[in-house]
Amino acid sequence: MSIATEELTGGITRVILDGKLDIEGAAAVDMQMNLIGGSRQAVLVDLQKVSYLGSMGLRALLAPAQAILRRGGKIVLFGPNEMVEKVLTSSRVHTVIPVHHELEAALAALQ
Amino acid sequence: MIEKGTEQIPECMTIQSRLSDIAPVSVWLDALALRHVIPKNIQFAMNLCLEEALSNIIRHGYDGADDRSIWVRFSRPDPSKFILTIDDEAPRFNPLELPEIEPNGRVGEIQVGGQGVRLIRAFADAVEYEPTASGNRLRMSFSSTSADRTIRN
Repeated sequence: MSIATEELTGGITRVILDGKLDIEGAAAVDMQMNLIGGSRQAVLVDLQKVSYLGSMGLRALLAPAQAILRRGGKIVLFGPNEMVEKVLTSSRVHTVIPVHHELEAALAALQ
Repeated sequence: MIEKGTEQIPECMTIQSRLSDIAPVSVWLDALALRHVIPKNIQFAMNLCLEEALSNIIRHGYDGADDRSIWVRFSRPDPSKFILTIDDEAPRFNPLELPEIEPNGRVGEIQVGGQGVRLIRAFADAVEYEPTASGNRLRMSFSSTSADRTIRN
């Protein structure tokens, strides 16, 4: 599991996750995700290259998201595959972190 | 340990109660998926349910003890049905009796933990629990043809 960040215009941070967000994958990105959650106001989490998402992976997404939302910031998820999106909807995480499949819509939601 | 058998004989794996032991189970399942030509979405569901069930047994059933055993068995009773059976020696606990977690509707206020059983219910076509003489047995079925889901206990 790898994580990379990219600063976009408008103060948006794009977090690119790549790999399996299973127990090991979540542990690998947990610290950096929490640092992002503790310091950024507008975050787009790019899930296009995430092939798997389990409950520990959900935790790695939810904890920083809740930190951002509590500070009045915004966070969106972008581009999950069909099964990853089913995990997001089954767990109702999509009610907390909006899911977008179009990049323009995702960026607009962060403005 | 992986015991290889024919397609008619269930294939089994025994792990110790450590979270780090779950990754090899996923590799084992990937190999089975390749061998049995399991569709990708079913493979995803099986991996997810297995990871969640094992994680719950290790963290809650065995309460963090890392020297206990868990047995996982794969079987394919017919070409379109795949079954994962998990046995443990933890205190009796039926995860299917856990109430559904209801959303409270407040933005940002969703429960971080406790998602495992919800995901198992959502991704397995059928889930059955039975107490055994030494612990618990959870049987999760996955079908490549049916969208029906059954929860039994």
